[in-house]
Amino acid sequence: METTLPERRERGGLSQGDLAEAVGVTRQTINAIERDRYDPSLELAFKLADYFDCRIEDLFEPELNGE
Amino acid sequence: MPDTLVPTIDSPERTRKLYERLVSAVIGVAVIALLTGLAVGQQLVGAAIYLVGVWVGVALAVLIPTFSEVRFYDERDDAIYRRASGTAMGIAFVVGLSIIPVLYVLDAAGTMTITPTMWGGIYVVSALYLCWGVCYTAISRRR
Repeated sequence: METTLPERRERGGLSQGDLAEAVGVTRQTINAIERDRYDPSLELAFKLADYFDCRIEDLFEPELNGE
Repeated sequence: MPDTLVPTIDSPERTRKLYERLVSAVIGVAVIALLTGLAVGQQLVGAAIYLVGVWVGVALAVLIPTFSEVRFYDERDDAIYRRASGTAMGIAFVVGLSIIPVLYVLDAAGTMTITPTMWGGIYVVSALYLCWGVCYTAISRRR
């Protein structure tokens, strides 16, 4: 799943650890999401979208079959 | 970005590493004590230290995350744990399903004998799946 998380995080001057603390996960989880190695739960996706004050679709773009 | 969510320093990361090292060290000392007891002929002392060490290690592993404000596990850890457990059970299932019936048949035909060690392995795999089945049933009824 493609994500704009790294750009938004860096734009906000946040480290992965800062963002992880803000949304209640470990730094490794933020790192894994940014490297497309882990798809966040719906709850975490909502938290991230809420934190960056945007929609989930603005943060994540699913790789749907046939698209 | 909400003002209340103030970025923090990386102390949670250090706390997590300290936690992992502490638990690993306690259990490591227990294992070394067990092996040392075996090597110097003091098996009982080694076993006692091992038991105490493992229980202390397990207690620390459970209690520290329970009472700490630092988050030690999150949803990704849960996902990894689920995947690893599923893979391990799958491997045990395939190995058990392919080997155990063959052993029974060969033993019944007199081609080979199932040794006590092999019986131990069969019991372990059977007990593992019985335990898994009980856990699966209990958890699935609550969801």
